[in-house]
Amino acid sequence: MLAIDNLTLSCQIDGRRIDLLRNLSVSLARGRVLGLVGESGAGKSMIGRIIAGHTPPGFEVTQGRVLFDGADLLSLERKAWRALLGRRIAFIPQEPLTALNPVLTIGQTFDEHLAHLGVAPRERRASMLRQFDAVHLPKPDDMLRRYPHELSGGQCQRVLIAMAFVANPALIVADEPTTALDVVSQVNVLRLLAEQRRQHETAMLLITHDLRLAAHVCDDIAVLYAGEQVEYGPARDVLRRSRHPYTWALDQATPDVHGKPRRLSALSGQMPGVSAMGSITGCRFAPRCPQRLAACEAEPPPSIESAPGHWVRCLKPRDVASNSTDNARESAAATWQAPNDNISGTPLIELRDATLCYTARRGLFGQRKVRNFAVEGLSLAVQPGEFVGIVGESGSGKSSVAKLIVGAEALTGGMLLIEGRDRALANAEVRRLNREHVQMIFQDPHSALNPRRSVYRLLTQAYEAGHAVATMTEQPRNGRAQELLADVGLPRDMLPRFPGQLSGGQKQRVNIGRALCVMPRLIVADEIVSGLDVSVQAQILNLLIELGRRHGIALVLISHDLSVVRYLCSRVVVMQRGKVVEQGKTEQVFSDPQHAYTRLLLSSVPPADPTVPWPPAIH
Amino acid sequence: MSAIELPAAPHSGVDRSSSLCGALRELARQPRVWVGGTILLVAMLLAVFAPWIAPHDPLDQDLLHMLAPPAWAPDGSASYPLGTDGLGRCVLSRAIFGARVALTVAIAAAWGSMLLGSTLALLGGYFGGLVDRLISYVVDLWMSFPPVVLSLILLVGLGTGIDKVVLAVVLVDWTRFCRVVRADVLVTRRRDFVLAAQLIGFSHWRTMLREVLPAVVPLMITLFSIEMGIAIVVEATLSFIGLSVPPQITTWGQMLADARNDMQSAVWVLLTPVACIIVTVLACNLLGDGVRIALDPRLRQRVA
Repeated sequence: MLAIDNLTLSCQIDGRRIDLLRNLSVSLARGRVLGLVGESGAGKSMIGRIIAGHTPPGFEVTQGRVLFDGADLLSLERKAWRALLGRRIAFIPQEPLTALNPVLTIGQTFDEHLAHLGVAPRERRASMLRQFDAVHLPKPDDMLRRYPHELSGGQCQRVLIAMAFVANPALIVADEPTTALDVVSQVNVLRLLAEQRRQHETAMLLITHDLRLAAHVCDDIAVLYAGEQVEYGPARDVLRRSRHPYTWALDQATPDVHGKPRRLSALSGQMPGVSAMGSITGCRFAPRCPQRLAACEAEPPPSIESAPGHWVRCLKPRDVASNSTDNARESAAATWQAPNDNISGTPLIELRDATLCYTARRGLFGQRKVRNFAVEGLSLAVQPGEFVGIVGESGSGKSSVAKLIVGAEALTGGMLLIEGRDRALANAEVRRLNREHVQMIFQDPHSALNPRRSVYRLLTQAYEAGHAVATMTEQPRNGRAQELLADVGLPRDMLPRFPGQLSGGQKQRVNIGRALCVMPRLIVADEIVSGLDVSVQAQILNLLIELGRRHGIALVLISHDLSVVRYLCSRVVVMQRGKVVEQGKTEQVFSDPQHAYTRLLLSSVPPADPTVPWPPAIH
Repeated sequence: MSAIELPAAPHSGVDRSSSLCGALRELARQPRVWVGGTILLVAMLLAVFAPWIAPHDPLDQDLLHMLAPPAWAPDGSASYPLGTDGLGRCVLSRAIFGARVALTVAIAAAWGSMLLGSTLALLGGYFGGLVDRLISYVVDLWMSFPPVVLSLILLVGLGTGIDKVVLAVVLVDWTRFCRVVRADVLVTRRRDFVLAAQLIGFSHWRTMLREVLPAVVPLMITLFSIEMGIAIVVEATLSFIGLSVPPQITTWGQMLADARNDMQSAVWVLLTPVACIIVTVLACNLLGDGVRIALDPRLRQRVA
């Protein structure tokens, strides 16, 4: 159906040719699913763009063919190529909300699409309704009149899936179709995609950053690293018997929700950017590879077939004959130190029956008040040194809890105690406690760092605050900056740099360092790894554990990712629509969830074992 | 997540938005900044050194040479390069001296409205709530008044003089700064780094000055240069109707008013101040445009 043969995509930077994708070869048969897995910057989205004929300016395919149904798309005439798009090849985009025109109703957008496909105006409405019914959208009639912003992300994605399948295409290219969605709607969308594919016998190219998800959903997987196809083979084999050290490291860096807890081994460093790719002559993974040979850096390794249908581009593929994956897990589990859960004393911070309610004014003069509960009746106490996780979907009120704890929002009801003192008093003593004891790490490291401050001025920003904090008066600002750099694992030459020059992981480290500057006793971390790649995420998670041990800091971790919470936290709070539905020791909650919602969340995480069927069937 | 970084990104992101040097380098690279800046600089030099540069006193009447044509015309005279007006005054000298009033008003009024408007915008945008509603309400009310009528009323009440003109322009135009800067403050205010500064213990005052203000300064500079152009036009309008400065001070608007009577026979008397106004205002707008493009990385990529 689709065969990509020795494809190379290049661009010119400063007069040098840089191969953004190098010698990519994959094939996809009718009705099968091929996963393209890689971290951000691996070049996986470029493949979708090449198939769509939308290579960005400055990039060109310098080698290879893209065969669709036996015809090379690249040598096809523009018109004939474009005729295939939408009809034989359909696309499902990453951001469902931005993919739909906000000023058109769903019906108008769909109608336009059908007109493009040449459906007669009379038949369009019936076709739309049929299609909406097939993707299980509630009230299809009503849906046609709605605008994209009135729909949830999951519903938008359903609309786009309905549009993609209406022409009965032979190939669907889905670029991170579930990344922007919540865990629960992710499962639903994947289930729907599988169902539609079976009905239409459509082949699918699934582009994703999630190796485990791909292993469950796809038949074959190609793993990309810095534009190089490092491993390609049957999905289960690629995950369970990974031969390339990168694929293996990816899996090792992903935390689990089930099984024995183990220490994550994070790759050091980060993927080279486009301009850095040009200066690597050999294997692009070599600089980060734990088992590189001298020959690795000389020239790119060839792709070898290590098992029938399982290709790996490595000079020293991992030996998978013995049950090495399991052994590695065992040894990682042995080095694992369970989070400290034996803590008592005065809680650092305690929320009693806390309520946060936003009042929106409606009507011409704001005379009607609409109350909206973000947090309702929440009680939570955090002991010194304890790591507590708060999980839930978006809109469950978990970020509001963070704002309440740090004092960015005032309680509408209930009480908040800092070391036993009521913050509502807001006297100088309480304010000082709040400032010195509670700090926050933000979700988006980009927005949280003032682009006009250097790393030095960011890390030690507290020195400018104009009040002496006990830990700060003892040493000069420069010394503290050096110490913080070492604490968060950044090289020394970082100090004069600006946030614009840092990678996402480095920014998040600066973010953590700034919160550490005043030596707080509690850090609130709001989704701090959700924007990071798996290997960088593992680095940050390990850093947090280490900092917690070294400085005895307590952490409130807010996350939608249950595996991350399990890895870090000894206690977990599950929230749904502003209320706590379950809380307890992490292992207990995860192994024996009591509430239906907790069970639903847990079943939405792709398991580490590819033989376990997932996504789960509807109960 | 999976979007690949474009090759331009690593180069363009570096240094520019973050350091002062980068911003200056970027400014120097903008042709608009060069053209606009050069014209304004020349105009300023002419204004400052007017008594030495101008061939005549702007008020000296040469009754023998009334409505003399420019030097290049058949019966023009070299001592009046741009000819004379209906009272026999040297047009070139008057244009040069007129730049003094125009530029003084432009710079002073732009400063004044920037200070007043931006301060209120910072306060309103930062604190929000009642303060913001109050300030926005005043701005709305203020802007619903026709600006020309407002400045006329002000000048009638205040009397004439350069300081009064400046005050009138400031009182009319601060709303422009307030509206635009407030929008930018609101956006910056919502960025996490502002909350981060507060959590670290920055006072409101310090957060405003250290975190929010630097982010809106580029916008203020842009507005400043555009405001200069507007102030020049307003001043010309006011002096055209004789409400700006006492008659013994030469202004471009006054020259326009005087030239009206002889418009048919001596068009150069009219064209000179017109050209002066156009070129200076254009220079201000070019400079403002260039600064805006140089300081806003997103715009720069689109234009470049």
